[in-house]
Amino acid sequence: MPTSAGRVLFLVFVAAVFLFLVAPLVVIVWASFFADKILTFPPSGYTLAWYARAWQLPDFASGFLMSVQVAICATLGSLLLGVPAALAVERFRFPGREPLRQILLAPMYVPAIVAGAAVYLYFVQVEIATEVQLTATFPGVMIAHTMVGLPWTMRLVCASLATTGSIAEEAAQSLGANALQTFFYVTLPIIRPGVIAAALFSFIASFTELEMSLFLVGPGKTTLPIAIVNYLEWNLDSTIAAVATVQILIIGAVLLASDRFVNLGKAF
Amino acid sequence: MVELQERRLKPGALVIPALLLVSAFLLAPLALILRFSLDLYDPAQLMQGVFSLDNYVKVFTDPFYTQVLGFTAQIAALSTAICLLLGYPVAYFISRSHSERLRSLLIILTVLPLLMGNAVRSAAWMVVMGSSGLINGLLLAVGIIEEPVKILYTPTAVVIGLVSVLLPFAIITLQSVIDSIPASLEEAGRSLGYSPLRTMVAVVMPISLPGIVAAAAICFCLAMNAYATPVLIGGPSVHMMGPLVYQQIAKVANWPFGSALAWVLMAVTLVLTVVSTTYLSRRYF
Repeated sequence: MPTSAGRVLFLVFVAAVFLFLVAPLVVIVWASFFADKILTFPPSGYTLAWYARAWQLPDFASGFLMSVQVAICATLGSLLLGVPAALAVERFRFPGREPLRQILLAPMYVPAIVAGAAVYLYFVQVEIATEVQLTATFPGVMIAHTMVGLPWTMRLVCASLATTGSIAEEAAQSLGANALQTFFYVTLPIIRPGVIAAALFSFIASFTELEMSLFLVGPGKTTLPIAIVNYLEWNLDSTIAAVATVQILIIGAVLLASDRFVNLGKAF
Repeated sequence: MVELQERRLKPGALVIPALLLVSAFLLAPLALILRFSLDLYDPAQLMQGVFSLDNYVKVFTDPFYTQVLGFTAQIAALSTAICLLLGYPVAYFISRSHSERLRSLLIILTVLPLLMGNAVRSAAWMVVMGSSGLINGLLLAVGIIEEPVKILYTPTAVVIGLVSVLLPFAIITLQSVIDSIPASLEEAGRSLGYSPLRTMVAVVMPISLPGIVAAAAICFCLAMNAYATPVLIGGPSVHMMGPLVYQQIAKVANWPFGSALAWVLMAVTLVLTVVSTTYLSRRYF
C-alpha cells in the first residue's frame, strides 16, 4: 500500500481501537498504587498499602483461595473428561459423531446466565429429591466450572489431534502396543502442547467465570470475581484496583505460559 | 487401520463420562427450566404444577418486560453495529500484515482484555468512567468542566462497556474469515485502479459477508445475555435481560417467570447460532 494520508489515518484508527481495548486495564493497574483514600486522578502520591488491605478483607482472601482451588479441580476434571472425548470424536468413526461433538461444545454456546439459572434450579431439585446439598458448596461450583472448561479442552485437543494424524499410533499398535500403551507413549506426547493449552485455558475460564457462579456461590463460599462484583456494588476505590491487578497478573502469567503452546488467534 | 483401533478401544467408553456431565448438568437443567417456564408462580408453594403459556405472554405483553426486552435488543444491536464498524478495519489490518510477529502480537492484544474476565474489565471501566474516575479527573484538571459529568450508570456507558467485551470476538471472527480470502483478489481490485479503501469495501467485504454475519450473531447474542456490564456499568436504573433473569430466579424466587425469561434468551441464541453457522458454511473460500 502506498504511504498516504489515508494510510496514516488507517493506522491511527487501528491504534485507537487497540488503545480502547487495553487502556482500561492499564488505568486500573495504575490506580491500584494511588495513595489517596478516595480515588483521585491524578493521585497525590503512590503506595502499596491497598494490596495489604485487600488481603485483609476476608471476602477477597477467601474468594481468591476458593477460585484457585476450584480452577485447579475444574481444570483436572475437564482434562480427565475432555481428552478421552476428544480422542473418540477425532480418531474414531461412529454414527452420531458430529452431533456428539456439538453437544460437548454446548457449554460454550449456551449463555452463561441461562446455564447458571438452569443449573441452580436443577441443584435445588436434586437437593429436594436426595437431600444432597449442591448449591453454595465447593463441589457444586466445581461441577459447573468443569463444564465451562470442557469445550476449551475439546476444541484445543481436537485441533491438536486433527493436525497430527494417526500414523504413529497405527505403527505402535501394529508393533503390538495395547490401547493404553499407545495413548500414554505415543498419542499423549504428540498432543502434549494441545493438552497443556487446554489446561491453561480451562484454568482461565474457571478463574474468571462469573455468571454461573453467581447462582451457585453462598456465604463463605465465594469466588474472587463474585467478591469483586459484590464490592463494586457499594465501593469504588484503590482496594478493588489492587484485587483486579492481582487477577490481571495471574491471568497474564498463565497466558504468557500458554503462548508457547498455542496460537492464541486459533484458540477461539 | 481404524478397525484395528476399534477392536482395542471403544469410543463409547471414551465419550460417555463427558457426555454424562453435559447431559446431567446442562441439558437436563435446561429441560427442567423449560418445564418450569410453563408452570405458574405460587407465593406459598413456588409452583402450581400446571401447564400454561402465561409467563411467555407476560414477557411479550407486559409493558415493563417488553420495554426491558426492547431496550436490551436496542443496546445489543447498537453495540454489535459499533463492533463491526470498529472491528472490520482492525481485522483486515491484522489479516494483511506481512510480519508474523506483528500478527501474533496484535492477536494477543485483542484477546488479552477478553480473558481478564467480566468482573475485572467492568471494574476497569468504572475506574475510567466514574465520577472521580480518569475521564472526569482529566477534564477537571484541564478545566473543560467544573463539575464531574455523569458517564457511569448511563446507557451510553453500557454500550461502551459492551463494545469492549464484544470487540475481541468480532475481530477474531472477522480476521479468520479475511485470512481465507486470497490477497490476489485485492491485487485484481487495485489493478482496476481502486484505492485501498475501495478495495477493502468493494472487493473484500462482500466476500467476507458470511464472516460479518457470524461476528454480528456472536456479538448480538453476547450483548443480549450480558450480566456484569449492565449491572456494574449500567447501575440500578438500566434494566436489561441478563440481570432480570438473575433477579427473578435468585431474589424474587419466581422460578416459572425467571425460567421463561431465560428461555427467551436461549431461543434468541439458538436461532442466531443456527442462522450464522448455516450461512458461514456457505462461504466461498
